[in-house]
Amino acid sequence: MAISNDEVRLMIEASLPGAQVEVVDETGTQDHLHATVKAPQFDGLSRIEQHKLVKKAVQTRFDDGSIHALSIKTSAPE
Amino acid sequence: MTEPTEPSLKDKVEELIRDNRILLFMKGTPEQPQCGFSMRVVNTLESYGVEYAALDVLPALQPLREVTAELSDWQTFPQLYVNGELVGGADIVNEMDESGELAGVLGVEQPERSAQSAKQELQADDPQQSPPIQIER
Repeated sequence: MAISNDEVRLMIEASLPGAQVEVVDETGTQDHLHATVKAPQFDGLSRIEQHKLVKKAVQTRFDDGSIHALSIKTSAPE
Repeated sequence: MTEPTEPSLKDKVEELIRDNRILLFMKGTPEQPQCGFSMRVVNTLESYGVEYAALDVLPALQPLREVTAELSDWQTFPQLYVNGELVGGADIVNEMDESGELAGVLGVEQPERSAQSAKQELQADDPQQSPPIQIER
């Protein structure tokens, strides 16, 4: 079951209010996605902690197999 | 005399993390990675010439996800541990490689990457590579 980029983006935005989120499909099969997330909640967090927050936002979709792979790039606002 | 209890998977994982300075949980082996992300981390590590231990998670994928979720609050693979701590997955390793941070974390010098590098002739000898670890279930 594929997942739309929009759905992933909305899940991340819901989990991290105020975040700038962009989700692109890397392979055209809708299951290898790349998310770029800039969120105020990331300020002061290590990369690992930032990535964990993004993964938690979409955990249910990892669990049910909709997302096969998600690569993540995070940053805190300047 | 009672039999000693079989160490749990979690015990074995903790031991691996403790005993290996650089430890990679990956899908497949360094010679035959079974996933693009794992392959990327292997290639990155190889470029630093460091010795590392590699564990193929595929034979026990779900149980290992549960163990690492418990130990590190992280359950996707690959996972790179250095000095007992989770450094991250493929994305983080890649970012740190590009930013120059990874060399410090691995405890080595930043390898020369530029074309003008004096070390253009890289030695062809393989890094001292430990064989892939097999976990018996």
